[in-house]
Amino acid sequence: MTAVRCVDLCKTYRQGEEDIKALDHLSIEIVEGGFVCLSAPSGGGKTTLLNAIGGLDKPDSGEVYIAGRRIDNLSKGELAELRLRKIGFVFQAFNLIPVLTARENVEFVMQVQGVPAAERGQKALDILEEVGLEGLEDRRPADMSGGQQQRVAVARAIVSRPALVLADEPTANLDSKTADGLMELFRELNDHHNTTFVIATHDKRVMSYAKRLIRMLDGRIVEDIAQDAA
Amino acid sequence: MHMLAILTRLAWRNLWRNHRRTLIMLLAITLGTWAMIFMTALMRGMVSQMVSDGISALPGHVQAHHPDYRDDPSIANLIGVSDTELYERFSTAGFRQWATRVRVPAVITSEYDSRGVTLIGVDPEREDGMTFVDYDAVEGRFLESSDDKGVVIGRKLATTLNTELGKRIVLMSQDPDNEIADRGFRVVGLFTANVMSFEEQYVFAGKTTTQDMLHIDDQVSELVVLGDNYRDVEALYNKTLELIDDGAEVKRWTEIDRFLGTMLGVMDGFVLVWIIVIFLALSFGLVNTLVMAVFERVREIGLMLALGMRPMNILGQIILESLLLLAIGLALGSALAWATVEPIKEGVDISYVGEGMDMWGMSSTLVPELLLSDVVLANVVVLILGFFASLSPAWRAANYEPIEAITKV
Amino acid sequence: MNLVFRLAWRNLWRQPRRTWLTTGAMVFSNTLLVFMISLQFGMYGLMIDNTLQAFTGHLQVQAPGFIDDQKMRQTVEGIVPLANELRGEFPDQHVAARANGFALISSAERSYGVAVFGVQPEYEPRVSTLPGLVATGRFLEDNDATEIVIGAALARNLKVGVGDELTLLGSGKDGSFAAAVVNIAGIFDSGIPDFDRSITEIPLGLFQDVFYMNGSGHHIVLNNGGISGVAELKARVEATLPSDQELAVHDWDRLQPGLQQAIKADMSSAFFMYGILVVLVAFSVLNTQLMSVLERTHEFGIVMSLGLTPGRLGRLVLLETAIMGLLGFLLGTFLGGLLTAWLSVNGFAYPGMEEMAVKFNLPARFYPEVSTLSLISGPMVVFLFTIIAALYPALRLHRLHPVEAMRAV
Repeated sequence: MTAVRCVDLCKTYRQGEEDIKALDHLSIEIVEGGFVCLSAPSGGGKTTLLNAIGGLDKPDSGEVYIAGRRIDNLSKGELAELRLRKIGFVFQAFNLIPVLTARENVEFVMQVQGVPAAERGQKALDILEEVGLEGLEDRRPADMSGGQQQRVAVARAIVSRPALVLADEPTANLDSKTADGLMELFRELNDHHNTTFVIATHDKRVMSYAKRLIRMLDGRIVEDIAQDAA
Repeated sequence: MHMLAILTRLAWRNLWRNHRRTLIMLLAITLGTWAMIFMTALMRGMVSQMVSDGISALPGHVQAHHPDYRDDPSIANLIGVSDTELYERFSTAGFRQWATRVRVPAVITSEYDSRGVTLIGVDPEREDGMTFVDYDAVEGRFLESSDDKGVVIGRKLATTLNTELGKRIVLMSQDPDNEIADRGFRVVGLFTANVMSFEEQYVFAGKTTTQDMLHIDDQVSELVVLGDNYRDVEALYNKTLELIDDGAEVKRWTEIDRFLGTMLGVMDGFVLVWIIVIFLALSFGLVNTLVMAVFERVREIGLMLALGMRPMNILGQIILESLLLLAIGLALGSALAWATVEPIKEGVDISYVGEGMDMWGMSSTLVPELLLSDVVLANVVVLILGFFASLSPAWRAANYEPIEAITKV
Repeated sequence: MNLVFRLAWRNLWRQPRRTWLTTGAMVFSNTLLVFMISLQFGMYGLMIDNTLQAFTGHLQVQAPGFIDDQKMRQTVEGIVPLANELRGEFPDQHVAARANGFALISSAERSYGVAVFGVQPEYEPRVSTLPGLVATGRFLEDNDATEIVIGAALARNLKVGVGDELTLLGSGKDGSFAAAVVNIAGIFDSGIPDFDRSITEIPLGLFQDVFYMNGSGHHIVLNNGGISGVAELKARVEATLPSDQELAVHDWDRLQPGLQQAIKADMSSAFFMYGILVVLVAFSVLNTQLMSVLERTHEFGIVMSLGLTPGRLGRLVLLETAIMGLLGFLLGTFLGGLLTAWLSVNGFAYPGMEEMAVKFNLPARFYPEVSTLSLISGPMVVFLFTIIAALYPALRLHRLHPVEAMRAV
């Protein structure tokens, strides 16, 4: 099964006087259970691609399919529903809702999905334990370190077992030890639950975890290699 | 339902994030609400006292007269049905209270001076509580029966005429043949009235005595009927109209004193205008607060959108936040209004402007009237208008592009 | 432009929406205040002028005690020569002598008790609007003629017209029986039936004759044209009065205590409303400026570490507020002035005003006038409170420590 398929995606931004091609006739297919790293220099188009896959941004042309369903022509509401049910997100920074505790942040998506309180409460506790945040459930983001916050974000992204997790520079604000821990966690989920991961990064360490490494430049794929993950 | 729970939680927590801002706004809303309700209670109190004083002077909620009496309140214009006949028709109609009166202009003369007054011939048993005169507060005594030979005048008039209890005065008017009709009376009582000018204007004598003096046997100038609620006199009016059966012109009090009649409507209008004005003054601060709140939260709103929350839910969250803020302010303001009205509900003495209030037709004690309907009106109007005022900032928030919102630093 | 001023100006427009919303609150209140104050004071002016010009005048010379007791015997002796003397002494004042009593006035068919005023036909038109209201016939001309001027409602009730004969019956100064037969010279119509029904005027000479006044009267009216300078005039009149009889001089406030008090009562409720508006604006400003200061904590930390004192930063915040306040002042005054100017041409009315107007000698449609006082007094107060509201955020800066502040985001 194909988890993600992109066909001939184009996206151009205008920056000052210049047109920047963030995606230039890009096509890609990612299998279910894939663990893909996108790597590119700044402005290389990896975040744009990630956002297009997540339905956060629309390409100028081309098609995006998630689990066989075309999504680039969906409405805002349908996209919201898709993100809610199928996709987990981990962003570079500012991942959490400041007024909610760690546990409530994790519960948030489930709550919006309509999962009963008892069930989501337990799930949230379990997952927080899994990411190593036992005992910090009732802290608010402001009272946690960057790594802790990032782990809460991961916990939220995976708690409702989405088929696809999209992560944009998840380790950017983390020290190397924490970053390793996070990647281990990703791989474990990938192995045990067959969750597809697409991670945009320029962290060499992160890349070393990938099963497939895609290098981009100026909106095109310049290298696509399968590798044995660490 | 679960969505509402999330939105409420988020709205509530967000509200207290910037507690300083929220507290200032809350203080403003509380003050505004208090002002709306407190002021309304005072004005309501004034008007309703004005109306009830006015009605007790008029008097009655519904009255019947000869069609020409209102323009020419003289002895020539008496009700076409005899007093006895009126009694037969009305005494079994089940009215709360009703009475007939002789009411004519007269000149009162003491040994020192004379004045023009309105002479009212009453049946004291049937009038109790119907006029502005409190029988128990009368110095001396009030009239005892319809054929009482005494007269009760206002305290102020007594001073002007240089007369006092037990002294004799002469009342002079005319009979239907335009002959001078006069009669000496002994002053048996001095009344005080809320509205000072009443003390100079009205003189009470027994109805039968007055009829004798004016040579009108069994005839009266007016019939007055009192209902339970001065605001709703339609049923009373129709019944009276039916009973009087072309014998006289029947009028509601609102038609007799147009000033008083319009005051009620003017008051209702004023209450609404006042509530809206206060709200508008508040709305700038409210919208400002929301705009700031939304502006500060661009990124987290983007995050929520990215996580799959629908724009409508974001809209709802901001509006909910605004309504929560308003609701707390409204509750505090309403409570404060109640707390400030409660200690003065017996009335505030404003006699330092007593004669001014007299000019407005009001008495010099101000009794606030806190109506539940006004409190509800203020709360509902503010919530509804608050909803609309919040729409614009909420709409902006809902239309953030998640991607731009998140990447914004 | 001064650097600090430029800095303040730019800071304001960092958040244009917020600045406009805050200014908007001021503009709203200022517009409303200008409009309401113009309306209010315009009405008070009219109320005073119309009431005083109608009859009372601005100053009256009376016998001591007359004002309270209004007794026939409390007279001013030799009232006409005294009035002449005052007229000579105060050439820019309109002076007229009057006497007043009560009488039963009868036509062939009817009798009514009325107030009878003895007036000087030559001078009365300058101190009262009543002569100008004569609609049919003419005003009195000869000081001794057996003539009378009555109101339209009374004429209707008495069923008489110009030229008809009326009989007056009353009691004279000494308590004796006073009677006269007079011809109707004119009929006035003031539009207020109660007034028209109760006031009549006869020449002073005739009055003195009929009521056995012996050349005395009850009061001398001085019409000053307006209420300014009345206090000073009163002192001068008091000094001029002869010492051979005891006399009192009363100004309009004493003569019509209801007038001033009605205004006072109305004013206190109006000021309550204005006060609330102003305070709500102040809250809005407080909120905005506090937020703006908190937002800039980091920035302020930097400039303070560069050596700027909290005092100077505080002045910056106050300057920002002052600019905003000035903007609100100018726009609000302009809009309020515009609205008032428009109303001064097109008039202002609201439902129920007609009924109220009659009660207070006001026209049914009101044309407020734009005056400097009404334009700036309200907005000035708003400006003042705006600055006061900004004091807290400005003073708060003294608690700022540069290092901690810089650490803040």
